Amino acid sequence: MFKVIRDIYEYRELMAVLTHKNITVRYKQAYLGIAWAVLRPLSLMLIFTLVKSFVGIESGDIPYPVLTFAALLPWVFFQDSTTEGIGSVVNNASVVKKIYLPREIFPLTAVITKLVEFGISAFILAGLMAWYQMAPTAHILWAPLIILYTLLVSLTIALVGAAINVTYRDVGAALPILLSLLMYASPVIYPLQLVKDKLITQQAAGEWSDLLYTLYTLNPLAGIIDSFQNVVLRGLPPDFSAMAPGLLLTAVLLPLSYKFFKWSETYFADVI
Amino acid sequence: MSIIEVNHVSKEYRLGTITSFKDSATNVIRRLRGKPVKQRVPFLALDDLTFTIDEGEVVGIIGPNGAGKSTLLKLLANVTTPTRGTLAARGKIAPLIEVGAGLVPDLTGRENVFLNAAILGISRAAIAKKFDEIVSFAELEEFIDTPIKRYSSGMKVRLGFAIATSVNAEILIIDEVLAVGDLAFQRKCFDRMEELIKGRGSTVLIVSHNIRQIERMCSRVLMLEHGKLAADGDTLEVADLFYRRSNEKIDAYHRGVHGGMTINYTSGEVTLGSVDLLDEQGRLTDSLPSGGKLRVRVRFSVNRVLKRPEIVVGTHTTDFFYLSASSTALIDDRPDLDPGAHEVEYIVPSFPLVAGTYCIRFAIFDQYQRKVFTGESLKIFTIVPNALDVRDAPMRRLVLPTRWRVDGVPYSSSTPAPMEAASS
Repeated sequence: MFKVIRDIYEYRELMAVLTHKNITVRYKQAYLGIAWAVLRPLSLMLIFTLVKSFVGIESGDIPYPVLTFAALLPWVFFQDSTTEGIGSVVNNASVVKKIYLPREIFPLTAVITKLVEFGISAFILAGLMAWYQMAPTAHILWAPLIILYTLLVSLTIALVGAAINVTYRDVGAALPILLSLLMYASPVIYPLQLVKDKLITQQAAGEWSDLLYTLYTLNPLAGIIDSFQNVVLRGLPPDFSAMAPGLLLTAVLLPLSYKFFKWSETYFADVI
Repeated sequence: MSIIEVNHVSKEYRLGTITSFKDSATNVIRRLRGKPVKQRVPFLALDDLTFTIDEGEVVGIIGPNGAGKSTLLKLLANVTTPTRGTLAARGKIAPLIEVGAGLVPDLTGRENVFLNAAILGISRAAIAKKFDEIVSFAELEEFIDTPIKRYSSGMKVRLGFAIATSVNAEILIIDEVLAVGDLAFQRKCFDRMEELIKGRGSTVLIVSHNIRQIERMCSRVLMLEHGKLAADGDTLEVADLFYRRSNEKIDAYHRGVHGGMTINYTSGEVTLGSVDLLDEQGRLTDSLPSGGKLRVRVRFSVNRVLKRPEIVVGTHTTDFFYLSASSTALIDDRPDLDPGAHEVEYIVPSFPLVAGTYCIRFAIFDQYQRKVFTGESLKIFTIVPNALDVRDAPMRRLVLPTRWRVDGVPYSSSTPAPMEAASS
């Protein structure tokens, strides 16, 4: 564990340069430049707000646009970093085939790159909050930890996905579908409170309700998005009961995913 | 003290493509029905290789295409792992396996210097210090802030080479990188490589098809063939073996197609009979000693009168480096060729080349310089070393008669008469 972190620390300069490269390359010949990083969550927010005006989703005392934008921030970060992470090894085939680097550098930098874009979107959220005159409380200090946790979740999927993607590109093809399904299974459009009310308070699924809720929160994004909204918008601490199942799952899967990646690494150059 | 140890290393690849879902499904069905399963054929790229390399050695790796040279370098660079056996390298390895691997088209030259350096494991501080030197070496001062997708291919290669050779490493692995750029830049690369090798005392492994380069730079050569170590030893010996092997191959190839001859052009007026090498007594032969008399006899027939034709006979190496050519155009009273069979002899009293394999070419032009017949590799012959050859200096192509004066006293080498050498 510590050795892994130390190795990664050793390559911090390389990761910094690669991150810089990823960002520069992406926006180099775009007139709008890095503004594109913000446009996606922003446009999704507008669409959701529009949909919400027809469907009617209970958003509590938080204005819906801010609530959904605060959900989109961790979600888009997760979605992009996972996608980018899974493609990262294949995208760097020319380096993988010629020069040895610890290959986890590639998924790792892919995820970190998205962190930078997340940071930019965070300014927009701050702007929105100022617009609606919402002041953050001290609980906002939880936010970096929640994002770090999101990063680890992305990495869990990205490491194993990137390794399989080297041999079977099916992973890269299947991912957009799976991710869009997962978005509906995460409290992005609706707040987690709605699910909680239905299952825990109203016991809508009878004796299965509690189990279903645990299953729902096994998706780490459920806890992440809800807690992010809590600490940034509602001024509340994270809801640990909603986070626990996902946290546990990640804690078990991340080391396995990393092991699998390191084990596969030896044949990357041969099959890529 | 050995810095690289390679122990019974084999590397196996599977031929064909990655199994698709369809293939897997078919295989499952076949297995269930007890039928043989379709499997991908294994291919041994490296076959039980064992050697060690000492610190400070400069080792060349040669061999024909597909011998496993690049695979070996990849293993040493830790890019891939051996299927069997172990491999150990002590010290930092700088792999110059492909110049410009990892250059990003969208970034400027400057950004690429830092990126590529980081990939090669050079720290930011170190590269910042060397930046100006890299740029001036690559001759890219004007273009350093232009995205390299707008560079010419030569510019990219120059940049890649300049970055890669600024790595400070104990072990340097170089794969064919010197064969890049224009002649002037190749010269520069060459000097830089020599400086790296001699100046820093790093251990260097060079893969190249350019044996002359290897001969010049390396103290030891490994020759690979079909993944096996075919030879390991002194540069000149192994290089010589390599030349012989490739000449044999070229020879065999030529004999396979049109009986060893390459007829490039014939107008139909000339039919080639035979091209032979004769010894002093006029007997057919395939070899002559170095510095001996070269006597070539060409027999051909002509189907109409050729007035005062120009006949050219020459020699070239197996890789078509033209060595000599002589033309009858210098002879004012050269004869006409009437229809029928003819025989031409071309005699060089002393053919001054070192031992090796050489070829004869032959051409006929009519009096107006119109091409009538040209052919190459018409006869392949070998020059065998003369008796004193082993005592002479290595690294040469020509054997020239020489005289010496030491402190005013003339000496002459006991250059053997061609006859004497032929009998030895």
